[in-house]
Amino acid sequence: MFGIFMESLVIFKLYTGLKLLLVLSLISWVYLLFAEKERRNRLLFVYAPLLVIVLFLFPVSRWAFVAAGLDGETYYRILWTIPMGIITVYGFCRFFAGHRRIGTAVGAALIILCGRCVYRSGYISRAENLYHIPDTVIEICDRIEPENPDARVWAVMPAELIHFVRQYSSRINMPYGREMLVNQWSYYNAVYEAMEGNEIVDVEELLKATRAEYCQYIVLSPGRETVQDPLSCGLVLADEIDGYRIYEDPVTREVVESWQGYYEDEE
Amino acid sequence: MIILKILCLIFWLLIVPGCMGLLCFSFLEKRHRTPGAALIAGYMLQFGLVELIGIPIVIYVVYNGFRTFVYLLTPVFLLLGGLGALLFFRGRKREGLPVFGSAGKGLGGLFQDMSLEGKVLWGLFLALVLFQMYMAFTRASFDGDDAYYGVQALTAQQVDTLYRVNPYTGRSAPLDVRHALALFPIWEAWAGKVSGIHATIICHSVVPLVFIPLTYLIYYEIGKTLFAGKRRVLPMFMLLLGLWQVFGNISLYTTETFFLTRTWQGKSFAGNFVIPAVIWIFLQLYEEEKRLIWWVLLGVLNLAGGASSSLAVLLSCLMTVGFGFLYAVSKRKFMILFKAGLSCVCGGVYVLIYLLLTRGFFGV
Repeated sequence: MFGIFMESLVIFKLYTGLKLLLVLSLISWVYLLFAEKERRNRLLFVYAPLLVIVLFLFPVSRWAFVAAGLDGETYYRILWTIPMGIITVYGFCRFFAGHRRIGTAVGAALIILCGRCVYRSGYISRAENLYHIPDTVIEICDRIEPENPDARVWAVMPAELIHFVRQYSSRINMPYGREMLVNQWSYYNAVYEAMEGNEIVDVEELLKATRAEYCQYIVLSPGRETVQDPLSCGLVLADEIDGYRIYEDPVTREVVESWQGYYEDEE
Repeated sequence: MIILKILCLIFWLLIVPGCMGLLCFSFLEKRHRTPGAALIAGYMLQFGLVELIGIPIVIYVVYNGFRTFVYLLTPVFLLLGGLGALLFFRGRKREGLPVFGSAGKGLGGLFQDMSLEGKVLWGLFLALVLFQMYMAFTRASFDGDDAYYGVQALTAQQVDTLYRVNPYTGRSAPLDVRHALALFPIWEAWAGKVSGIHATIICHSVVPLVFIPLTYLIYYEIGKTLFAGKRRVLPMFMLLLGLWQVFGNISLYTTETFFLTRTWQGKSFAGNFVIPAVIWIFLQLYEEEKRLIWWVLLGVLNLAGGASSSLAVLLSCLMTVGFGFLYAVSKRKFMILFKAGLSCVCGGVYVLIYLLLTRGFFGV
């Protein structure tokens, strides 16, 4: 039980980052504890958060959470029910109600100094288009998407493009996707092993795997080295976009076209 | 063409939910009948209906699931929106109020009476919200989960099937029971379908422009209640809350981080719509616990949270029962706890379906 309690404590630490903003919330909460007279507000912003914290840290809660089939990694979301922002800002506004100008300036300065701007995140960049995915991905997808609107095409993509391809077109399938990039999931995929297993791609090995999955296209990152020349292995360089080389496999294409012809005849 | 699409978006994402929210107006006190409250209530109803209509489709319709979803949901939205507008305008006529425009001073009058300080603070707050919307529109925020949720929306739109394709690879797959009841991405696909826009554009470029102001509308309603007798403090409250949202990125897990970097995901909907809305409703319930409409809205909200995830339903129900318990003890009226329990029934059924589905009791 103590172990579970410690786990919950670690989750709490990770959630709050133990940053100064938490201290600000705590000060505001203590102020409300003594100063707030309205019963309704005391219940919602003083007693309820306390109950949530106690419940969150109580080992049986976490045990029940996981036992109910919920993902243990999302246990931190119980803390979402504590409206830290409302508590802090409400406490502030109450304290500075008679001196709003000073209160706003002090409050704003404290929030800015104690917090961390969301736009400083390394994951945020200027959007290249309305899809908010790289232009390169769009150009590659437009190049390999089949003309027939009912047809699908299979393509192996470099790791850095994998997240975006199927956000642009669901007509491009991939032998593996994001599930292979998340280490803790530890899946196995033969094409992934051949493509990403070694720094230098063994094209012959890769082709064996991609042909088994009927992949028509192989896209290689700029500067990605190969053991054999892809062209000498039978691949055709269909295009090069922003340094990404798009190879088409004529053998697989023939097989796929024969299927498509068969299905079209059936229809 | 672009203008037409923008007009479609305004119609489907602002006018229709707003009109749906008007359905509640006849049951609300006059002071609550604001455009903001209409939009908030409208979205609660919308997502409640998305779950109510969508869940059977997801479970039982294998092919053309998305088409079925659109064909059933769209007329219901239109019907309820039309009905809401009709009831609202008839009500105003009956009360001798102008059909359009405010009964009182209106927004213009409100600003006329405001001190310079108030105007400056409101101006700063509006600038901050516009800045957040601008950043959401012009900045791409990378998140690995988009490869799942964003693609589910696009798959629904382009492949016409719901949660039966592996979003990472595109292979056909059995129903993804873990996520199948969380229909927020499918609602995004619906918004794209009815406005003729690619689902990924809806997710990344359109949804933040609707849900960022929507969250602030809830905070505005909360602030109005908290500072009922001290309206002058309200702009200060809103401005500081706006700053809090920008600087609340103290970890990857806070609702503030989700609010501005993953606005289009159901998780953000849970943290920044469902949970603040529960607080808003309970702020009203303390004085108006006998007014049925708040309990009904709470019940709908507890189901609407399901669009995000089963955890969201659990959290909103937990808050409902927790707040209900505190109110019941404080007021010594145990009927409150009973009503709180009743408003969790829809959410409870959702969780039950989720449990049965994940344990393989039914599903196609």
